[in-house]
Amino acid sequence: MNDTAAALPKPVAGQAEGRRGGLLRRLRYVEPVTLLWLLLVLVLLFLVAAPLLKLFSVSFQAQETGTFTLSNYATAYGRARYLDALVNSLTLGLASAAIAVLLAVPMAWAVSRTDMPGKGFTWAVVLGAFIMPPYLGAVGWILLAGPNSGFVNRFWQWLTGSEGTLFNVYSFEGLALVIALHSFPLVFIFVKAALDLVSSEMEDAANILGAGTWTAMRKVTLPLVWPSILGSFIIVFLETIALFGTPAILGIPARINVVTTQLWQFFEYPVRVEVAAAYAMPLLLVTIGLIAVQKLLLARKAFVSQTGKGGERRMIRLGPWRWAMFGWCALVGALSVAMPLLVLLQASFAKAWGRGISLDNLTLRNYHLLIFEHEMAMTSIWNTIWFSAAAATAAVLIALLVAYIVNRRLMPFGEVLGFLAMAPFVIPGIVMAIGFYAAYASPPLALYGTAALIIFAFTARFLPIAYANSSAAIRAVHPEMEEAARILGSGRLQAVSRITAPLLRKALLGGWLIVFIVASRELSAAIFLVGPRTRTMAVLLYDLSEAGNFEVLAAFGGLLLLITLVLVGIGMKLVGRDFMLRRI
Amino acid sequence: MQGITKRQLLIAGAALGGLTASSRSGAQDMSAHERELYEAAKREGEITWYSGQYSAETSEAIGRAFTERYPEVRCNVVRSTSQVAFQRLSQDARAGVAQCDVFSSTNSGHFQLLKRQSRLLQFRPQNADGMLESIRNADPDNFFHTSFLGLFQLACNSQKVSEDEAPKSWTDLLDPKWRNQLAVGHPGFSGAIGVWAVQMRKMYGWDYFKKLEKNKPQIGRSSQDPVTLLNAGERSVGVAVPAATVLLSISRGNPLRLIYPTEGVLATIAPSGIIRNAPHPNAAKLFMEFQTGPHMTPVLLRYFADPLRPGSPPPEGAKPLDQIKLLAPSIEEQEKGVPEVRELWRDTFGV
Amino acid sequence: MSRLVLRGLTKAYGKLTVVDGVDLTLAAGEFVSLLGPSGCGKTTTLRMLAGFVEPTAGSIELDGKVISAPGLVMPPERRQMSMIFQSYAIWPNMTVAENVAFGLKLRKLPAEEVRRRLWEILEVVQLGHLAERYPAELSGGQQQRVALARAIVVKPAVLLLDEPLSNLDASLREEMRFEIRRLHDEFRITTVYVTHDQAEAMATSDRIAVMNAGRIEQVDAPHLLYTRPKTRFVAGFIGRTNLVEARLEGSEIGFDGCRMQMGQINGVPQGGSRPILLSIRPQSIGLHRVRPAGGEGRPVTPGTVVQRVFLGESWDYVVMPQGSGLRLRVTAPPLQVHEVGEAVWLEFDPRQMALVE
Repeated sequence: MNDTAAALPKPVAGQAEGRRGGLLRRLRYVEPVTLLWLLLVLVLLFLVAAPLLKLFSVSFQAQETGTFTLSNYATAYGRARYLDALVNSLTLGLASAAIAVLLAVPMAWAVSRTDMPGKGFTWAVVLGAFIMPPYLGAVGWILLAGPNSGFVNRFWQWLTGSEGTLFNVYSFEGLALVIALHSFPLVFIFVKAALDLVSSEMEDAANILGAGTWTAMRKVTLPLVWPSILGSFIIVFLETIALFGTPAILGIPARINVVTTQLWQFFEYPVRVEVAAAYAMPLLLVTIGLIAVQKLLLARKAFVSQTGKGGERRMIRLGPWRWAMFGWCALVGALSVAMPLLVLLQASFAKAWGRGISLDNLTLRNYHLLIFEHEMAMTSIWNTIWFSAAAATAAVLIALLVAYIVNRRLMPFGEVLGFLAMAPFVIPGIVMAIGFYAAYASPPLALYGTAALIIFAFTARFLPIAYANSSAAIRAVHPEMEEAARILGSGRLQAVSRITAPLLRKALLGGWLIVFIVASRELSAAIFLVGPRTRTMAVLLYDLSEAGNFEVLAAFGGLLLLITLVLVGIGMKLVGRDFMLRRI
Repeated sequence: MQGITKRQLLIAGAALGGLTASSRSGAQDMSAHERELYEAAKREGEITWYSGQYSAETSEAIGRAFTERYPEVRCNVVRSTSQVAFQRLSQDARAGVAQCDVFSSTNSGHFQLLKRQSRLLQFRPQNADGMLESIRNADPDNFFHTSFLGLFQLACNSQKVSEDEAPKSWTDLLDPKWRNQLAVGHPGFSGAIGVWAVQMRKMYGWDYFKKLEKNKPQIGRSSQDPVTLLNAGERSVGVAVPAATVLLSISRGNPLRLIYPTEGVLATIAPSGIIRNAPHPNAAKLFMEFQTGPHMTPVLLRYFADPLRPGSPPPEGAKPLDQIKLLAPSIEEQEKGVPEVRELWRDTFGV
Repeated sequence: MSRLVLRGLTKAYGKLTVVDGVDLTLAAGEFVSLLGPSGCGKTTTLRMLAGFVEPTAGSIELDGKVISAPGLVMPPERRQMSMIFQSYAIWPNMTVAENVAFGLKLRKLPAEEVRRRLWEILEVVQLGHLAERYPAELSGGQQQRVALARAIVVKPAVLLLDEPLSNLDASLREEMRFEIRRLHDEFRITTVYVTHDQAEAMATSDRIAVMNAGRIEQVDAPHLLYTRPKTRFVAGFIGRTNLVEARLEGSEIGFDGCRMQMGQINGVPQGGSRPILLSIRPQSIGLHRVRPAGGEGRPVTPGTVVQRVFLGESWDYVVMPQGSGLRLRVTAPPLQVHEVGEAVWLEFDPRQMALVE
């Protein structure tokens, strides 16, 4: 620099000022976006990368000393019982996913492509099953299908006079069915969205060549949405292996140990986070493996027609068969929503649920206890609402910024952000929670027992949903909208806040609501991270289920459902009836 | 707590029969010591209690009664099974965070461990002197004090099992005729079941459980779970169920019958202790006074639990203590044995 | 080889009548186009033929058997027909071979025969080397051929095509037109072809049915449609033309500046004195600088050029005959250049004039 100063015929004083001014000037041209990008990277590293890395490193650490060791893995996989739990989890995942697909695909086909009556009813069923937390459904099914006392079995015994049970919920099949009854909405939403895009001409072409309605459905329509079916199968599988509540409530009496309940055991005294981490690693590998398999299976084929016009979708006329399809949807609705809900309501108003429905078995005591006498009940409701709201807000905000940067290609390595935002999708919730515990519960951050820890964990866990939602929303807004504003003098941030954001409002609100609902009933991640004052409704419900007091449990479940319904109602009012469809 | 002999309890039972009920809970008549603690506790404002002994309802009622007597000191009841409570305590310790003030567990072994690791606060409540003589000196060093006298025995659904058919002893349960009819808690969750399993192993060896497994009992989590199942008629016989829960259930109209096994009833005399780095030490001390004092007794009686102080009749429907044979492993046996039986249980029952 | 008869075929949606009493007969092996602008009802008619839409009135007969009538519709899968859709409707998750063999497999033919017929047809459409490809890997024209192969291999009684070429670019369209006609000639399948493009219809069809607002205006061979349009609509729709109002008086036809004898034009009007409509093609009017000899009954009249556009292959002139308000479009070869405002002579050829109505 000095050489040039000497060479150039300029006054020395002005030169020094020019140099300083040059740096400042350059800073002024740095877009705020770069700073934002840096901030987001830090946030995502904190939320996603750090817990995972910590989990990974902790799995190789000896407990007291912290030295490198493989003994954790040896312990984690040394006992047959632990291996059994892993195998149980994987089989349970496959079974539930299969049942969920079996339940939901006909429903999705019927609603999307045929003239089946009662489509609004079917949507209500899907929404109801989505809202009902799986562990609550499990309790309901205990009341319904306990081998000796369940209503279904008692009815069967009365009907047939036999001593046997029709369906024992304390079994592998029972567990798989109960889980499937609350995961099938995911399959329904994905598959229906894909079916909506299939042009009727695909089926017409099959018809004219000689295929009847059912043949065309089997050979043409469903194969066309195979990616959605496979994708939702995988999602249900992942959700199932990460569930804690239902396997604890149903699995223990059924003598079925799964990975999540086993992980819980590693947290007994003495707390063996290291072994838990080692044990959890294979879940991650399984997930990554599944995603890879999915990519392979879908590799060469395209599934959306690339050419031609024609996307019109006409309803297939089913004739009398449409009542059969409606019957199927009604059956699923009964099993997943109506029956459990009714028995739960009955139990919540009962003095002793085993005494059945009778006038002298009615009482408001359970609700009274919860609302006025149980110290934690109201607090936990408040906790749930504000944790979920905070997490939803954070997730949607981060997701929006990341989606914006990625979609508008603002930074050279923007995809990294997108990848980080979606990464938690492959991590079972409970593993995520353990990672958070390992990374942030102890000093230096010492977040154990604080609301912050739970909010961070929820944000990280549900970020993928928010991101998928925001990404789709931003893709729908043409960049030229902002460019028009910028050429007129508006800065980028201003353009985003005044033009883009209002356009995205509905979609974002929908995403917020979905994250909120899912967060409010999350158990597996919460159970490891709550402290005595930060218990959520889900954890309290679980604690109540330990005391075996099903009447109070049912009443609390009733409160939980009521609150969720109110929020969903508000959501539908604000965003429109189809807010759930905006997921992907 | 050194080994309670049957003799000591018989004496206590006689004393019970002799004295008249005199525990009145005068609302504002506090001793100077009590008032002093109360003022200090008011400044702290709350106390967090990890309750593993009493049922949720009972624990909540105790908490409410405490706040009624000491307004402005809120009681956060964190009720769970004992093992889970201990687990939470361990998590707290490992994170270096103090959340719990008072810890109560049905497994006395927990307290040996905590005392050895210097995690308890030394404090003797003045009210302890008024407790039943046999239980008022749980720990000579005063790191923990008895707060729970629980009896765990058998129960059956009276509609499904007649009085003659009902099992009469712990060994009766091994009879194949009880296949698919039994229900029991899990030592991995319930402290009481852990202690019971230690006792059974002491008396009959682990073979007892191998044979019990053949009858396929339904395993829950809490020792109270079987009562729910009995109420519903899902199973007919509850094993190692808390007498208090059964009696409460009967009082609500459920068709249950309490059974006293011939070998004896498991007596869990379990303590509470103040955690050393408790965030609200004065409120904790006040709570310990409350637990050992006369004002908790009416609450216990309402919920059919056994009172800790002399002067009250046994809960309705229960036999007086002097007529029952009591079984209890020593505190060292509990400390060492419970983790062992947990692992054995998981291997035998698969869960 | 089949005979297809449409009798009074009608389709109404509420108050809107989309197809209005269509009568049409197809001989076995005939190639007929339904030609018309959007909304004229041609696609609906085709879909009624296929069995996807139920007629409100009228009937469709195949080889003497009624297959469509109000309340009685044989479903598409039993009609033994094939259809090419506007979007081709090739299934993107199946290979070319799987797409084409679909119909054969449904008929439960032995594997050997399926293989044989599959390879035969792929050779015919020249896709043999692409059998294992997926549709996403093919060009538009190739996908079109897959659709054709799939439709033809099952030897249908009737082949239906719904604007199959509208998504291809111009040169490909020409190529595929010939391809479709060639396949038709080879297999002699009765074919119904729907299009809005008259060049396509004319290049491929034996006969064309021109439709407008749900009715058939005229059914004729292509050159007859062109030279003898029977309605104003057909005259205006097929090719470009000048529609001129003239007067018939006795045996003479006259319009501004021209007089002709009745027998000279195409079409024989009923006698009397009344106004008539003539269709005069732009190519049939000659432009001259000096008065041509005329004769042979070719009337001439002076006029002025008022507008001109050069189109590369021809000049497009608008000429006004003297003393007349008519604006006549005249097409001339590229070398014949006239200026705007120039005085020219128009020479008419009555043999190329058509009486429209």
